[in-house]
Amino acid sequence: MKPSFKRLAIDTATDHLYLSVIIDDQEKGNVWVIGNQDHSVRIMPLMEELLQAEGLKLQDLDEVIVGVGPGSYTGVRIGVSIAKMIGYLNSCQVSKVSSLALLASSSQAERIVPFLDARRGNAFLATFHQQNHLLQRIQPDVLENVEHYLSQLKSPIDIVKVGKPDILKVLRSGLTEVVENVHELVPEYLQITEAERHLRAQ
Amino acid sequence: MLTLGVESSCDETSVSVVRDGKTVLSNVVLSQIDIHQAYGGVVPEIASREHVKGITYVFDQAMKQAQVQYQDIDLIAVTEGPGLIGSLLIGVNAAKVVAMNYGIPLVGVHHIAGHIYANNIEHDMEFPLLALVVSGGHTELVLMNDHYEFEKLGETQDDAVGEAYDKIARVLGLPYPGGPQVDKRAKEGKPVLDFPRPMIDSKDFNFSFSGLKSHVINLHHNMVQRHEEIIVDDFCASFQDAITDVLVKKTLEASKQYDVKQVIVAGGVAANKGLREKMSKTITHVPVYFPHIKYCTDNAAMIAVAGTFQYLKTHQASDMYLNGSSRLDLTLGA
Ligand SMILES: [Zn+2]
Repeated sequence: MKPSFKRLAIDTATDHLYLSVIIDDQEKGNVWVIGNQDHSVRIMPLMEELLQAEGLKLQDLDEVIVGVGPGSYTGVRIGVSIAKMIGYLNSCQVSKVSSLALLASSSQAERIVPFLDARRGNAFLATFHQQNHLLQRIQPDVLENVEHYLSQLKSPIDIVKVGKPDILKVLRSGLTEVVENVHELVPEYLQITEAERHLRAQ
Repeated sequence: MLTLGVESSCDETSVSVVRDGKTVLSNVVLSQIDIHQAYGGVVPEIASREHVKGITYVFDQAMKQAQVQYQDIDLIAVTEGPGLIGSLLIGVNAAKVVAMNYGIPLVGVHHIAGHIYANNIEHDMEFPLLALVVSGGHTELVLMNDHYEFEKLGETQDDAVGEAYDKIARVLGLPYPGGPQVDKRAKEGKPVLDFPRPMIDSKDFNFSFSGLKSHVINLHHNMVQRHEEIIVDDFCASFQDAITDVLVKKTLEASKQYDVKQVIVAGGVAANKGLREKMSKTITHVPVYFPHIKYCTDNAAMIAVAGTFQYLKTHQASDMYLNGSSRLDLTLGA
């Protein structure tokens, strides 16, 4: 019997905490819970529970898939730090995926715009096309003025602000990317910090 | 007993392996000081970004330098707080992964306990002991009657010592971080300017530095307005003289009142030469110890040492719900 391929998916870039265990082509269990700025407290206990339910330990994993944003900066860093550590400690493969792609996977519509609010009329946005339960990226992840972005799109589109990821769809659609060197993995912030902006403006 | 320490409360990502709360096998510190220099202070968002970037690399280096395996580690000690929350969370979550991965007990350590315990690397602690903790974020006098028993005797009512140093340095046009610069220039100058010594005669062990800071800034401003010559070295010497007078006098009084066996000066400002000299010269009835300079600034070795004694004392480990907290009470830490 060929050994099974065990994967853990993590996303902490939105206000929902998402974890999933995938063995071969089956999703064995998942967690998708709304957080109250407490992803940092809950993620490890939930992960432990989820893995235990499948009789798995962190060392058993063949791949960790992590949402690298864009989204909440503090949030995404929690998931990315954890994924990096699991990958580094166990020399297991780490793959990254856009947190917007994960969000888009929750929709059944044909044209999808995942949307994460970034204040002051801006949002993290992307555009996906869906056919036969497969997602195809049309536009890259951007941080843009919402009105401006949406005005350029032809309707009808499904704007998705909250949704439980369909990890199997994401995997089938080839939206994950293997990280070459786990030490170098960082979140996708899509913008420099305010301090850097001010400094450059001087 | 091998303890793996993790520290990420501010702008240093650090991991260390310490044997028996004493022997440092490795202490890797990835400092961001060059990055924050351009901003004249630590930018929290940038600090967090740097922590997540460097975290696994620092773990890897610390383990390689110590020449130990994760399986050999008996305890993981991570800074729980106080500090920048976004920064703390990186270290806390990384430490939790190691703990879960290998089934190693985990303890959350108070950052100030770490600064105090840095002393134990070179000098065994003897109780009762008085610790003056001086850094960019803290100024407090802590009494310890035994391992991991902290009693806060007093603290700053406004600015921390390091904070005051940085602000004075900025006004005088000295680069960040200002503390070491002011210390260096003070050596070249004379304390000819008469600066106030706030609360020096108060009967408690609290401090206040904002009045002194404003006085220095106002005098500098007025002299500039009047086109008078500013001798930076003398400004630094006078400021340093005033601030160390207060620190030393309160520490001396507390050491006598509580009849302590030793005095420890800990935290980033403990690297200050002017403070070291005056402390050693003034407090002579008991030994005054300063951690080695490399253990004064933030590092994970001090967290590993403190965590070791915390665990030996309490026999309590944290579960996977451990969180970072920007504010944390030292006396409740144990
Ligand atoms: Zn510190």
